[in-house]
Amino acid sequence: MLLAYSFLAPAFIIIGLFGLFPLAFAAYESTLRGLNKIVGSYDGLGNYVKAIDNLIYILTFWIAAALVYYAARTIARAIREHREEQTDALRWILPGFLTATGVALFARFVFILLPEMLLIPSKLRGQANTQEAFRSLVVETWWLPKVQIALWVAVVLLAAGSAWGLHVNRKTARDSREPVYFMPFFSAGIGLIGGAALLWLTWQEINAAYAEALEEGAGLEIWSQIVTISAGFLLLLVAWRLWESAGQRSSNTGMALRLVGAVAMMAGAWVLIAELPRVVNAGDEDWWNGLMATVFYVMGTVPIQLGLALILAALLFQKIRGQTLFRVLYFLPYVAPFVGTAAVFRIIFSNRPTAPLNGLLDLFGAEPLLWLSEPAGIIEMITGGRFDLGPILSGPSLALVAIMLYGIWTYVGFDTVIFLAGLGAIPNELYEVADIDGAGGWAQFRHVTLPLLSPTIYFLSLYAVIGTFKAFNHIFVLRQAAALGTTDTASIVIFQAFKRDTRYGYASALAILLLIIIMVITLVNNRIASRRVFYG
Amino acid sequence: MASNAVAGRAVGTRLVDPATRRAALNKLLIYAVLIFGAVVSVLPFLYTVSVSLMNLTEATGGRALPTTPQWSNYVEAWHDAQFSLYFMNSVKITLISVGGALVFCALAAYAFAQMEFPGKSFLFTLLLSTLMLPEAITWVPNFITVSWLGRISPVPWLNNWPSLTIPFMASAFGIFLLRQFFQQIPRELWDSAQIDGSGHLRYLLRVVLPLSSAAVMTLVLFGFVGAWNALAWPILVTTTPDWRPISYGLLSFLDEAGALLHLQMAGAIITMLPIVVLYFFTQRHFIEGIATTGLKG
Amino acid sequence: MNSKRMWMLATLLVAALVLAACPAPAAQAPAAMEEEAAAEEAMDTGLCAPASEGPLAGIDPRGQTIVWWHQHSGSREEKLSVIVEDFNANNECGIVLDAQNQGGYNDIRDKVNASTASGEQPASLLVGYQNDQAFYQLNGVLADFDTFIDDSTWGLSADEKADYFASFVEQGVHPVFDGQRLGFPPNRSMEVLYYNLTWLEELGFDGPPTTPEEFEAMSCAAAEANGDGTGGYILRDDASATASWTFARGGNVLNEDNTGYVYNSQATIDSLTMLKRMLDDGCAYFFTEGYPNPEFAARRAVFTTGSSSGLPFYANDMVTIAEEQGRDMDVWGVTAIPHTTENPVQNIYGADVMITAGAPEQELAAWLFIKWFTSPEVQARWVEASNYFPTRAATEAHLSGYVDENPQYGEALALLGYGAYEPQLISYQAVRDAAETAFNEIMQGADIQATLDALTETANELQEELMGEVE
Repeated sequence: MLLAYSFLAPAFIIIGLFGLFPLAFAAYESTLRGLNKIVGSYDGLGNYVKAIDNLIYILTFWIAAALVYYAARTIARAIREHREEQTDALRWILPGFLTATGVALFARFVFILLPEMLLIPSKLRGQANTQEAFRSLVVETWWLPKVQIALWVAVVLLAAGSAWGLHVNRKTARDSREPVYFMPFFSAGIGLIGGAALLWLTWQEINAAYAEALEEGAGLEIWSQIVTISAGFLLLLVAWRLWESAGQRSSNTGMALRLVGAVAMMAGAWVLIAELPRVVNAGDEDWWNGLMATVFYVMGTVPIQLGLALILAALLFQKIRGQTLFRVLYFLPYVAPFVGTAAVFRIIFSNRPTAPLNGLLDLFGAEPLLWLSEPAGIIEMITGGRFDLGPILSGPSLALVAIMLYGIWTYVGFDTVIFLAGLGAIPNELYEVADIDGAGGWAQFRHVTLPLLSPTIYFLSLYAVIGTFKAFNHIFVLRQAAALGTTDTASIVIFQAFKRDTRYGYASALAILLLIIIMVITLVNNRIASRRVFYG
Repeated sequence: MASNAVAGRAVGTRLVDPATRRAALNKLLIYAVLIFGAVVSVLPFLYTVSVSLMNLTEATGGRALPTTPQWSNYVEAWHDAQFSLYFMNSVKITLISVGGALVFCALAAYAFAQMEFPGKSFLFTLLLSTLMLPEAITWVPNFITVSWLGRISPVPWLNNWPSLTIPFMASAFGIFLLRQFFQQIPRELWDSAQIDGSGHLRYLLRVVLPLSSAAVMTLVLFGFVGAWNALAWPILVTTTPDWRPISYGLLSFLDEAGALLHLQMAGAIITMLPIVVLYFFTQRHFIEGIATTGLKG
Repeated sequence: MNSKRMWMLATLLVAALVLAACPAPAAQAPAAMEEEAAAEEAMDTGLCAPASEGPLAGIDPRGQTIVWWHQHSGSREEKLSVIVEDFNANNECGIVLDAQNQGGYNDIRDKVNASTASGEQPASLLVGYQNDQAFYQLNGVLADFDTFIDDSTWGLSADEKADYFASFVEQGVHPVFDGQRLGFPPNRSMEVLYYNLTWLEELGFDGPPTTPEEFEAMSCAAAEANGDGTGGYILRDDASATASWTFARGGNVLNEDNTGYVYNSQATIDSLTMLKRMLDDGCAYFFTEGYPNPEFAARRAVFTTGSSSGLPFYANDMVTIAEEQGRDMDVWGVTAIPHTTENPVQNIYGADVMITAGAPEQELAAWLFIKWFTSPEVQARWVEASNYFPTRAATEAHLSGYVDENPQYGEALALLGYGAYEPQLISYQAVRDAAETAFNEIMQGADIQATLDALTETANELQEELMGEVE
């Protein structure tokens, strides 16, 4: 166990500094306002409200509810096992909860220390900017009473929790069949504390918003919106569960269940359609458009990119002539600096009638298109603009589609190389066995290659989804003002808020929202994948 | 694999006609798909090469090919972008960061794949969550980190190798990738290694890494590409040419070349050549499946 | 991969680390130079001694090393370094200037903001636009130029002050920050109309246009001659172009008390109406694949508009393409944006230099360099190196030879007196993006009045929103 931690330590020190610290920084910044200020004034959920209006209260409420639900379920399972299997699970409650409280208090310590530390640069500005001055300010901040108290409270609880845990562990160690229940109670504790903190914050924020509205003599509908929108989602959830369970029942009950489910679904959808647009309209328009463009971008690139790469990798793994050459060729787009390839794609997708693609269209007798300068959605263009489809149904703009093609073109090579590595890790003997069994090419692919490649597929799909959600460079270099912002994905909106406007707080809030979205998708992906991924 | 099977059968039953015909047809289909794909992926790239050899009239006139290749464009780009000044910097930065990434990612991935410890899934989730923050947000906090580390450590970080390499010595991508491959290694190998008295570190070096050579090479390759093409971060943390990478040379050259598309393209191609060469030599590791039998710890 | 190879890799890594850890020799050079300069100083105390009175009394600029972050690259950077070397060798205070390229304007901005956030001292001299100054000053990063300009020992005389073009130096004054002068102009550029005179004469015109009507007629004639959609004017969706056309019709995009935007004045509406008509008639076209100068040089456009800082690139491309095509080079020139006002009104823009707040000696030394750099003789050298416009009228006297060699530059130089400038409001960067989008919307057929009304509203909202975050 100690060895495992020491294996992890170097990587986690670096990732802690350059991966986790930015996360904590963003979480902290997202509660502040102030232009070009890393320590602005506290604004609670203000930035989030600006971005997605009252939806943020619903979001925090449901995240808190999910955390509490998770904690309750974990505890319930441990208690059940305690009762049914005669395990001694319950004595892990206290060490688990104590350590969880310690970790939570440690997080609190970080968020007490962070603002004080971030104030050092502004203190330095008045005086000579030397290493000594900097170091003495760091030391001074470190010894601030509130920092020290926060630190020691956390350390004491952490130490107590883990000591108790070790003590319990030593007592149970003799009976090796007794599972260790430390982690369930620990994570349940984290869930409970996190959920409670989030609920408390939401409650405070809502009350403050009502108080402010009362002062201005305006009415607010936060509560009513929370209730209606939550009810809408709940109804959808119920409908889905009913529909699923209907399949397992006899035809009559199944029918009835489906009917109830359909009614619940319609009711839920109706509530949402009535209520959601109002909230969306009150939020940041650029942000919603950015999210929509992002979803288009992800859905339009990930499946195609991965599908093509899988086919190419499978073919490139054959014993064929020119294998090396093909592999190098497919990899070229990924290694070429994008400043160079972007210039080429700008020419290919130019709106000039004589540009390469328009020349091709001309060959087929079609009208030239505007490509990168075309803000109209592709579905709208295909249907000839006869129907008023609205922004979602119109599909991604042609400009965004051109950028997607550029993205696919670049990343197929990347995916192919990783697939090739995955294929390379499949033991030869398995194919030999399959050969002896007389399995044909397709059968081998289906029953040997795909299952054994599943860890790679899982890795790539997760990585591609995360990567495309925050895709930036390819979009930024090809976006044109003529596309009227239809190519601005969420990451572009965040970039502009952070770099152009230096609204650190607002940009961080947007980044956290994007992170929540990606995380939810990853969790869903993991649930699906856990049934299908097969490790040797 | 499809053709393995087909080829194997074809050897065994050389005289059976339909099978050979099917094999030939299969091959033909494979080639057709591969060549089509290659054309699509290479055409834009070939156009880059073509433009890089044009003169200004041709480059702006929408021509497909130059009348006489202007090899001097490459000489001009090499000199104007001062690539010779930045080339060695990039080599150093890349070697340090890829070497570090290899060691640290392999260790961490091994722990995640083959060892049991409390908080494993929690730590792994934490690791993945670092991938989910848009890069633009990370630059300011990371700049603060390297600046402060530089002021409390004996070696300055800004304008020096640590800020350019250490942040890239461990990545969630690399750990995740290697973990996926390490996890596929059969447990029996660890059991037999233990019987032979080898510890985790020895097992990692002797068995796990050789068996995952394809994944390790992938990590090296992508680490190399990332470090070589990195642009925004190196510009932020360097103010003098001492440690500036080749991508900085390319950028300031692009600024200067402005509308001179042909020179831009020549510069872009020069910077990517080393990676192509590297890939050419590493791709051998992806060619064949591995033999796990007969391996011992 | 076997363990042998692992070891090789590890050794390589260690070797690289050791290699990297060796201190770069260049890093020590400035310090050594500083010492030398200081030693020299000790011998002649008379020169450059600290002032005995005034706010800068007792501050000794001698022997300071100051860093300048700029964006000049390539040949401009090389020529700048010659000028800087001259300063380093000959300035009587023994100040050493270290001019460093930091990428583009945005890179400098990112660096300054990151340095501010982390408590690093940014360079003593920075290059940047006026709205950047506002962002920096939110954190008190900059020093006020007036401290130095008005100083009796180190400052400028009344004559010298009057010699700077008023509209250039006004831009760096920020009412939001108590009227501090946060930026100072080292050079300027101007939005100009590039025209192909040979071609115009072939088409039967005797010179460049002065009014929008003439401009439109000439563009249409050239487009007709080419007959393939090219030939006329290359549309530019940049916000500076929109501002320039508005200025040329006597309008402005800034409201009267300089606190907000007006994008829906008659001047803007008329300008965009004309451009839209030209696009519809095929007399103007979009070129989105890069800079327009090669298009212009290859006779695919008779007119372009753009910054005068593009002059050397146009000149270069005209020569290259004429050579490559084996024909005589067309005679070309630059002139004022076609205007309805009696005299031209020219959009003059350009980055300022700023002095960062720090040790007083550093600040003063930085100012002494700027004072030297904007003196007429040095300005003339800088003009010849960069093709920028000087910021002092007296520079013209030193430029006669250069103007003879570069007639186009001379044409533009004559317009310096007709300057107007774009907003320096804190939201201008964001508003520029909104203005570009609106321009494109209009060109794609949106109603001009309604779009410009909406733009004005958006722009003022953006300004309000950003000011709302300022505390």
